[in-house]
Amino acid sequence: MNKLKILHMYSDMLDLYGDSGNMEILKYRCKMRGIECEIGKYSINSAMPDFTSFDLIYLGGGADLEQQHIAEDLHKCRQGIAKAYKRGVFLFLICGGYQLFGKYYKDADGNKMDGLGLFDYYTVAEPDRRKRCIGNIIVRTEFTGKTVDIVGFENHGGQTKNVKNPLGSVICGHGNCTKSTHEGYFEKNVIATYMHGPCLAKNPEISDYIISYCLSTKAGENIKLTPLDDSLEKKCRQVMVDRLTNK
Amino acid sequence: MNTLLIIFGKLIVRILQLFKRNAGNLPGIILWHLTRGKCCKMFKVDCPIIAVTGTNGKTSVTNCIAQLFEKSGKNIIINKEGNNLDTGICSMLLKYCDISGKVNADYLILETDESHVPVVYSQLKLETLVVLNFFRDQLDRNGEMETLIQKINGFCKTFNGNLILNGDDPNTARLGLANPHNKNVKYFHAERYKFATDSIFEASEGRFCPFCKNTLEYEYYQYSHIGKFVCSKCGFGNYKPYITASNIDLEKPVFTADGHRYSPKLNSIYNIYNMTAVAGAAKLYGIKQEITDRVISGYTVKNGRMENFMLGDRKTTLNLAKNPVGANMTLRVMNEMQGEKELLFVLNDNIADGLDVSWIWDINFSIFERVTRVITSGTRAYDIAVRIKCSGYNPENIVVLPELDKAVAELARTEGRKFVIANYTAVQPTRSALKRYISRKGGNHE
Repeated sequence: MNKLKILHMYSDMLDLYGDSGNMEILKYRCKMRGIECEIGKYSINSAMPDFTSFDLIYLGGGADLEQQHIAEDLHKCRQGIAKAYKRGVFLFLICGGYQLFGKYYKDADGNKMDGLGLFDYYTVAEPDRRKRCIGNIIVRTEFTGKTVDIVGFENHGGQTKNVKNPLGSVICGHGNCTKSTHEGYFEKNVIATYMHGPCLAKNPEISDYIISYCLSTKAGENIKLTPLDDSLEKKCRQVMVDRLTNK
Repeated sequence: MNTLLIIFGKLIVRILQLFKRNAGNLPGIILWHLTRGKCCKMFKVDCPIIAVTGTNGKTSVTNCIAQLFEKSGKNIIINKEGNNLDTGICSMLLKYCDISGKVNADYLILETDESHVPVVYSQLKLETLVVLNFFRDQLDRNGEMETLIQKINGFCKTFNGNLILNGDDPNTARLGLANPHNKNVKYFHAERYKFATDSIFEASEGRFCPFCKNTLEYEYYQYSHIGKFVCSKCGFGNYKPYITASNIDLEKPVFTADGHRYSPKLNSIYNIYNMTAVAGAAKLYGIKQEITDRVISGYTVKNGRMENFMLGDRKTTLNLAKNPVGANMTLRVMNEMQGEKELLFVLNDNIADGLDVSWIWDINFSIFERVTRVITSGTRAYDIAVRIKCSGYNPENIVVLPELDKAVAELARTEGRKFVIANYTAVQPTRSALKRYISRKGGNHE
């Protein structure tokens, strides 16, 4: 029963800025608590999996070219993924993965690529390729029930608009658009963000929110996780926060 | 106008030298603005130019090729490490040219940044381009891998000179097909070595055929995505090598190329690839065998690239790792060595490092063998500590000391073999800290 089943989609193509590290971190945090963690993979030309049989579906970010390759394939999975999402399977989406789940993505040359349309937001790439949102970012979140400032690294040309329920507010950095006030997208079973780094490296609260949500949904009761020693992670985050806020 | 620019440029160089400032890049930057980005165009270069590019190994290969010609009695000009952008090359040529812009030499051997190949060689006529490999490196500065390869590929489409390409890297081998009319494409290749694997071992790129998008099939991987590959659909990867390294034995270390046995000093597989590229250039230019031997067997580096120090009686090896491939290679060298050892990892995130440090998550730390302790340092000391911890390494054996001198002292405190990995801007401060320790507490530096 104490088992986390993850589907890592397009791991061979969507892996920028250490995004696969998120899987290593979830695996590590499960292992430290004696929770079994199984990571399945799906990529172009794989057999169609039963998406509802997983607790978590994960997509990282990729370069524009790779994103075009997978967009077509992802549409074949639309029904399965939508069904899983409605049943409460957790969706964890980084950068390109985040964009592909919205209405559409328009690249720097104006080519429009349909997204899965699970959510109302859409993304338009900044036409000047040199104007990207790059740098360390601090985002203030409340989704765990407490105020937590999370830290990551963003690098995107895409400007994501019409985000109804963002992950948090930007304290330092860009967020969904150039110099915007908010970052990412959130639902109780969706975390979508531009944060690489990887995202979970300095933010154990996000990892634990995901693990706890998945296990609780499966058990039908609130599962409390054994606390881990996160002093290194928190110190790491504090060093960056202090630097960015000039403390 | 040209003469005026040159005189002005030379004047800036003089002034900088007078004030003992580094004239490596600034004169070029000023002229770049004055010439609207065409700062290399004002030089008249009649001699052949050989350029070396790629993510890893540019400096080594450029130096070795330069030595081939130098030892053959030729008058050569070479750019020093770091000055490999158009502005750096311009600054260097300013020092050697006469006031008409004429550069007098038998050969120009130029290390050239990957993204500047089309820029520089649309202005200067290139005879030979050596391309070593393409790995993820400082992605956020250069833009995405594919953009970079496309830039060089665009240049190769109209290039008819010699192309010496790593035939075992699909990212570089594809450049050989950019211009189907170019008859001067030459691939270097290395046969399977002892630690080659059947499946991919480290995160990497180039898993798909750039021509038909089919998954590439590998007979073996030497390291990262470098290995014997072929596309079963379109045949990409089926080429006749110009030069092949075989009988590779890293313990001695030795290898054979074109029936000749070489004994290089550095024992890593990527050095074998570099030296095979050097042997390829030597073959192309008809360098005497005895000279090629001397260059390949004598080449060693003292710039934080597998550099040895004695901290008191503790043997310590420092290696620069700008990207996961470099770091993974060091970890392999560490593992292939018997006995217990300790690692100091120095990680900075200055602008030249590319601000982002997430590449450390592409380093495969789970292969650690007999590593009894890890010390982390640099501006991102905690990031590397977290990364190593999440690979499953016991956090009780990790010591975080952002200050370098303290980290080095801690490393030297215990007995045994030591390794140090430092990224780009961390490597010189780390060398200095190691030397400071030696001058205070004893030891030596080779």
